[in-house]
Amino acid sequence: MASEPTNQPTNQQASHPVSLPMPTVGPASMGALGGHAPKPIKVVLNWGRRYSLWVFNFGLACCAIEFIAASMGRHDFIRLGVIPFAPGPRQADLMVVSGTVTDKMAPAIRRLYDQMPEPKYVISFGACSNSGGPYWDSYSVTKGVDQIVPVDVYVPGCPPRPEALLHGIIRLQEQIAGERLSTAKLKGRYAGSRVASAGDVRRPLVRRPAAPTAPAGSAGSGVPAEGDR
Amino acid sequence: MKVTDVREVPFADWVATVRELRDEGYAYFDWLTAVDQTDAAEDAGFDLVCHLVDTRVPRALRSVLLRTRAPEGRPVPSLTGVFRGAAWHERETHEMFGIGFDGFDDGSGLGLRPLLLPDGFEGTPLRKSFVLAARASKAWPGAKEPGEGHDSARAPGRRRVQAPGVPGPEWGPR
Repeated sequence: MASEPTNQPTNQQASHPVSLPMPTVGPASMGALGGHAPKPIKVVLNWGRRYSLWVFNFGLACCAIEFIAASMGRHDFIRLGVIPFAPGPRQADLMVVSGTVTDKMAPAIRRLYDQMPEPKYVISFGACSNSGGPYWDSYSVTKGVDQIVPVDVYVPGCPPRPEALLHGIIRLQEQIAGERLSTAKLKGRYAGSRVASAGDVRRPLVRRPAAPTAPAGSAGSGVPAEGDR
Repeated sequence: MKVTDVREVPFADWVATVRELRDEGYAYFDWLTAVDQTDAAEDAGFDLVCHLVDTRVPRALRSVLLRTRAPEGRPVPSLTGVFRGAAWHERETHEMFGIGFDGFDDGSGLGLRPLLLPDGFEGTPLRKSFVLAARASKAWPGAKEPGEGHDSARAPGRRRVQAPGVPGPEWGPR
């Protein structure tokens, strides 16, 4: 990455994006504070964490509608400190898997979960993501999202009411309040399930594909021709 | 829209009938699928079902449901020459039922290939002979059987329902 031998200015430098090293995302901790701080400080730290959960909604089916309802004015989980619509998994603390997880979608869930920075939490929302639900017999439905990612709180229902999600969030916050955030604890917490850290799960920048060699103006191409750079 | 006009079509006239109806005005191809009738008493095979709609008169849509019985293992002539949009339906029917389509052409030259199933999926899941292996490998996670209420003890019982796809005793105890 940083040691690529292309740092010399060349003629092609202008067409290459600037190569910045990826920020290293290792096992998170709160430094010495998290591990050795006296109890009042840990209470304060966890109090801050539990009430600023950026949530990332993995909406897959009808349960996602209930999640959206829970985020809107009537139920309003923002008053619990849950902040919806994180720009992406890399900015999220909490993933809510709401809906039917299929075997085809499962790798994407795992990948996006791996992209989340630690410490991270998962709420499985609804019967389908808990166990497969009414589609338990199906050839294509995963029998519970906990086969893919570790789940902290299960919310039962088909679909659960938004109040059930609020209850699940409060349960998760109680769990966070009791946590000790030392590096060793965190490593232990994710050791059984970690396959990649957030820094690993990325792909190189998307580049313009090479210009096709086929003659321009062929009937199949729906993309208007662009000049080469 | 309620389907009232159901027509049984001889297998040999499948494409010709669809083309005729299209030229007649049923120019909207709605969907195409198959029904597993391999356990039928007579003339076992797959029912191919195709729904065409005539959209020329607003609020008075006419539709026709075509049905033909294809013998098992025999490819069905493809409708992609009549309706280009039939390609997705035929690909799905192919992957779900294992039915081949003769003369399939969706313009890509790649032929019949899976549309929805994940890569590496083996089997044709909508056939009645496709065993739902989850029942054999995992315990039913629910506390109650389907149809079982608080006080009705005479529920059919999930384990005793002999629906297609339920693994037989040769799959071992469950």
